[in-house]
Amino acid sequence: MITSETPGSSAAAPLGTPVDGPRPAGATQSRHHPARSARKEDSGGNSDSHDARSAIGLMAPALVLYAVFSLLPIAATFWLSFNSSAGFNTASAFVGLDNYVATAADPIVWQSLWHTFLWLIYHVVLAGGLGLALALAISRLKVTQVFFRTAFFLPHLVSLAVVGVIWANIYDPFYGLLNTALTELGLGALTQGWLSDPALVLFSVNVASSWQGFGLYMLLFIAGLQNIDHSLYDAAEVDGASSWQKLVYVTLPGLREVTTFVISLAMINGLKGFATVFVMTNGGPFYQSELITTYIYRLAFQSQDHGRAAVLCILLSLLAIAITLVFNRWRARLSR
Amino acid sequence: MLKFLAAGVAALAIFAGGAVANAQTLKMWGPEQITEPLVAELWNGIKADFEKANPGVTVEFMPPTGTISNGAVQSAIQSDAGPDVILTNSGIGRISIVKNAGQVMALTEQYEKRGWKDQIYPWLYAELKGQFGGEIYEVPDGLDALGIWYHKDMFAQVGWKIPATWKEFETLLAAIEAKGLQPIAIGPRTTGSAGHLFGNLLQSASGKEAIGKALRKEIAWDDPKIAAGAVRLQKLVEAGFIKKEMAGLDLEGASRLWFNKRAAMFVAGPWFTANARKAGYDLANAGYAPMPSDLPGEAIPTGGVGWSWLVPVNSRQPDLAMKWIDFVLSEPVMKKRAQAPASTMIYPRELTGIEPPTPVLKEIFAVAAGGVGYNPSVYLPATVLDTYFQVIQGLISGQVTGEAGMQQIQAKMAEAK
Repeated sequence: MITSETPGSSAAAPLGTPVDGPRPAGATQSRHHPARSARKEDSGGNSDSHDARSAIGLMAPALVLYAVFSLLPIAATFWLSFNSSAGFNTASAFVGLDNYVATAADPIVWQSLWHTFLWLIYHVVLAGGLGLALALAISRLKVTQVFFRTAFFLPHLVSLAVVGVIWANIYDPFYGLLNTALTELGLGALTQGWLSDPALVLFSVNVASSWQGFGLYMLLFIAGLQNIDHSLYDAAEVDGASSWQKLVYVTLPGLREVTTFVISLAMINGLKGFATVFVMTNGGPFYQSELITTYIYRLAFQSQDHGRAAVLCILLSLLAIAITLVFNRWRARLSR
Repeated sequence: MLKFLAAGVAALAIFAGGAVANAQTLKMWGPEQITEPLVAELWNGIKADFEKANPGVTVEFMPPTGTISNGAVQSAIQSDAGPDVILTNSGIGRISIVKNAGQVMALTEQYEKRGWKDQIYPWLYAELKGQFGGEIYEVPDGLDALGIWYHKDMFAQVGWKIPATWKEFETLLAAIEAKGLQPIAIGPRTTGSAGHLFGNLLQSASGKEAIGKALRKEIAWDDPKIAAGAVRLQKLVEAGFIKKEMAGLDLEGASRLWFNKRAAMFVAGPWFTANARKAGYDLANAGYAPMPSDLPGEAIPTGGVGWSWLVPVNSRQPDLAMKWIDFVLSEPVMKKRAQAPASTMIYPRELTGIEPPTPVLKEIFAVAAGGVGYNPSVYLPATVLDTYFQVIQGLISGQVTGEAGMQQIQAKMAEAK
């Protein structure tokens, strides 16, 4: 007697009952019904190939989009890096590793690489740090938290190009808000050429960029703070912990996951730094705020040297991959 | 009756179809100040005249989003949805970028066929013919003449005047600074603005012929004779006549200093009238003079082709684009533009019986009639330009000496094909 294999089912299916025919009340259809198994065995690999075809069919639109918008551009970038190309409309010539050699020999590349690294650090510290500080400051507010949260998030909604224009005017050495305010406050000695001083310019532009970005990080930190179990604070209170000790031993460890996420996000955003630099200094003065991204633009769209620009794109991608790998390893070690 | 109606409908359809078939749109990358009311009024008038002369044609202005220098023109052409004809800042340096990228049509044949060669100064045609082995890729629309702009009332009040020699000029700069004013304003974040002053200083120190030789690679840029202009800029910065902080200014920020009379002088061309008008500056108070020079006959403006018409290779209306250029070069249109209050440039051929719309333009035309030197910003190869502008920023921010800066320019010049 062959019975249903469905657990909990005691009803037997009589022999000869059609698979799709009426079943006795209480009987459930087995996933391994002998008749179906037999049919599956008969058809062999046909069913598998049918499933595979269906899967490919379903994935095809996404695959095509991925190939057109990701894989092909990546391939084209590699191809361009081995060619001398002045533009998309012209025939290009294979030059082997010439573009790579020229890139390695270009001091501005190394300078912009260093600036990119500094930019990334500034962004993580300034935008991430400000986001955390403000999250801590307003998270305890009851009535006004929504107002401050909205107010601090607003800059994030402003386009980076607009932010660049606003801050370039704030930094204007003769009419700018910053130098004027310092002078009015009797701190004229602190006035600076914020965008002309080689030692300050990268930092100054990064402040503008970070001002635009900190709001998002603040929101993430607030969400993280809301997830910390309040009983931990109560316990710390009972143990006589000071506010500082609660911050160090309860809040910051509780924010570990969010912090790592914010740092990774800030690093990605830092690597993408372009608009504020382009608008506020265009990489100057004398390349002192040149980033890899602005140099790529300069080579590709101002000098029409697509080959060397492609090499730098590859370099930037490798940099992003390397940073991600190192960061992930650090994060894994931290969570152990 | 029905037959008659059917024939009428058919005729109407053919007529309508013909009208649709004849409808053409010419997309034009227009002048930079197209959003300014006076400029818009002038260009809308020209557009209406062209459309009237070419039934079925509509001219559509694309407000320019930039220049060749910042890559906007190249990007617009590469998009394949860009303009059919372009008016933009030009000069061999910029044109070579789009020419080398194969983005613009050679117009050499049109110069002969359409008689354009007789509609621009003969020396200008000769210069264009000599740039790309005989091929021409632009039709000049306006020429630049860069010199010193000053406030007539300020200078009259103190008894200052733009002197003839460099030594006297340095004395003037010191006197202006002693009054608590900025002697010269410059906004090198806008590359053009950086190049205007620097080109004036190079020519003042070395003369037109020497700069011409340097541009043709017949003399090195780090040769002391050429580097003298860069050393002058370095010394002006060291003396505080040009503040280091100005390295962080753009054209707008620097011209604001001049319009508000916190700066006494500004190096610019006839196009500066548009900026002045926009800022509400009284153009009757603007004076113009060339940069002083100790070399005889070298106190002349720098310049070159400032703006040109280009036809992209992917223009959907190449024939119409040529017709448009014919129209713009015609005597009535050129005279209309030269006399319009929005006029801001020197035209590419001599126009008789024209009264410039502002006194300062009249002064510029008079000074330029004595000859115009080279503004390297429009003559240097594209691959050198970036270094050239960055070196100027380096000189103003005190990061590089005149000699070292010129060595960097020379190194790029040696690489340039």
